[in-house]
Amino acid sequence: MTRESTRSVEVSGLKREFKSKSGPVVALDGVSLDVGEGEIFGVLGPNGAGKTTMIRILSTLLLPTGGAAKVMGFDVEHEPEKVRRVINMASGAEKAGYDFISAKRNLWFFSQLYGMPSALAEKRITELSETLGLTKYLDRKFYALSTGYRQRATIARAFINDPKVVFLDEPTIGLDVMTARSIRDFLRSEASKNGRTIMLATHNMAEVEAICDRVAIIDKGKIIAAGTPEELKRRLGAPALVMEVSPPPKDLEMLRLVAGVKGFTSSADDERELSTIQVVVESDAASKGALDAMTASGHKVVASWRKEATLEEVFVALVGSGFKEREEEVGS
Amino acid sequence: MKARALVRLWSIFGEPLWIVVSIGFPVLSSLALSLLYYSIGAGNYIGFAVLGGVMVAFWGNVLWSMASQFNWDKQEGLFEIYLTSPASITAILVGMSVGGIVGTVPTAVIVTAIGWVLFHPAVAASWGAVAITFALTLASLYALGMTLSSLYLVYGREAESMNEVLQEPVSMVSGLYFPSVGSLSPFPFALQIVVSLIPLTLGMDALRQSLFSSPGFVSLWVDLGALAVMAVAFLAIAAFSLKALEMKGRRDGTISVRIR
Repeated sequence: MTRESTRSVEVSGLKREFKSKSGPVVALDGVSLDVGEGEIFGVLGPNGAGKTTMIRILSTLLLPTGGAAKVMGFDVEHEPEKVRRVINMASGAEKAGYDFISAKRNLWFFSQLYGMPSALAEKRITELSETLGLTKYLDRKFYALSTGYRQRATIARAFINDPKVVFLDEPTIGLDVMTARSIRDFLRSEASKNGRTIMLATHNMAEVEAICDRVAIIDKGKIIAAGTPEELKRRLGAPALVMEVSPPPKDLEMLRLVAGVKGFTSSADDERELSTIQVVVESDAASKGALDAMTASGHKVVASWRKEATLEEVFVALVGSGFKEREEEVGS
Repeated sequence: MKARALVRLWSIFGEPLWIVVSIGFPVLSSLALSLLYYSIGAGNYIGFAVLGGVMVAFWGNVLWSMASQFNWDKQEGLFEIYLTSPASITAILVGMSVGGIVGTVPTAVIVTAIGWVLFHPAVAASWGAVAITFALTLASLYALGMTLSSLYLVYGREAESMNEVLQEPVSMVSGLYFPSVGSLSPFPFALQIVVSLIPLTLGMDALRQSLFSSPGFVSLWVDLGALAVMAVAFLAIAAFSLKALEMKGRRDGTISVRIR
């Protein structure tokens, strides 16, 4: 299902297993999705959910063990050379440049991997650098760039070959707010003005809410929900309840017993001896039930309020715990 | 290919300290051996020491900038960029080789000039044969570097530490500074046969024959034929193994294999 008439990415029943000493590990378990031309599609999930595996399969770095995937109509398993001509990819974790040559020469070199004529490459470098605010730093050696400018150069590299589809894995991880915002603005403009399809794997909810047209929430290799961020949040039906509780509860099992509580996350503030607990509820009655259960367990509810649902709360409602807790479960 | 060659050149000349190191080591080792030969009255060996200084620069470049490069690229995330692009990995390696050769030429010229000015080694060269020999020696050496680069990708840092272990022994047995094969060799015949499998050994033997009319292990033309075969064979092995590695990576999710 896609809102656009032309599909850039088609994924059908995609599976990927890895061998490990303790037996096969299922990273992707029958994922199906379509992404339309000019769409920014977010793949959201905790670490270990299967996001990166999907991006690696779609960018021809990994073979699926089941199902099929096409990018711009080309099969990623059987036509990798054709796929590679129309895509590019970048990861927030990569360094992606030779230290002792300038950012400009690095970008020129990467353009040559796609056989671009030098004059066209120079023009493209100029355009991308201006848009990304990199122009002043183009002649600096790569090692001399700050993390933010290095990441801008990485993003410029991912768009250097005028790709139809760009796969990005946590592109703004570790960046300051302003740099992350300018990269998001750039991605938004590349999709809307140039019709580029961008597939973004992230566990940054704010990023997804800010720029993605649609999002698939993935957990343990399966898509558990997909739609626009607004659609997903609307599905919750009720806003989340936030309460500050003192002393911090050792466990929150009492909340599981309350009818209408779909899930919860918590964070402790040791200095203030408080726990902030976010509870995803079905109704106002469930909110009241959660507050009563907390008080009945001998804890003082210092403050409580309602807030608009976020994508994390959508995730919590679907699986019963937050990203952090899920990552701990998967890791254990 | 051209782009990767330029990146290699820009990298070599982009870091002043590296220029000093890459020129300094071959110059000093060549000078040390030349002075030793001069002081013990083995003047006819000085040319071998100067030639050794030239070739050790290329050998070091093959080991540290060819064989190890893809493993470093993999660690930095650059190798994946190569794999997801339409560019041929073999073409990238060939570009790296061309850049490495051109970038090492200044070192070779400086070593030669210093050796020539200080010691005037006797040369009885057939320059056409020298040019062909030099070209074939470099072709086989850099093709070996391409093959090693795929090996290092598989075994990662564990294989890279072999560089450390092998650099000096290979330099010695391949005859960088003295004839390790042929009538002037101090090694037993069986060892000479084994070390002849290293392209550097045959290259040095051929270069000594063409530059100094030194007696060789086998005739110059046999050396050249063997070097040409090695160059083609190593290039083919490198291309095949890199393609196989790419498939292994796509299939298994990793191209690395643990030795232990």
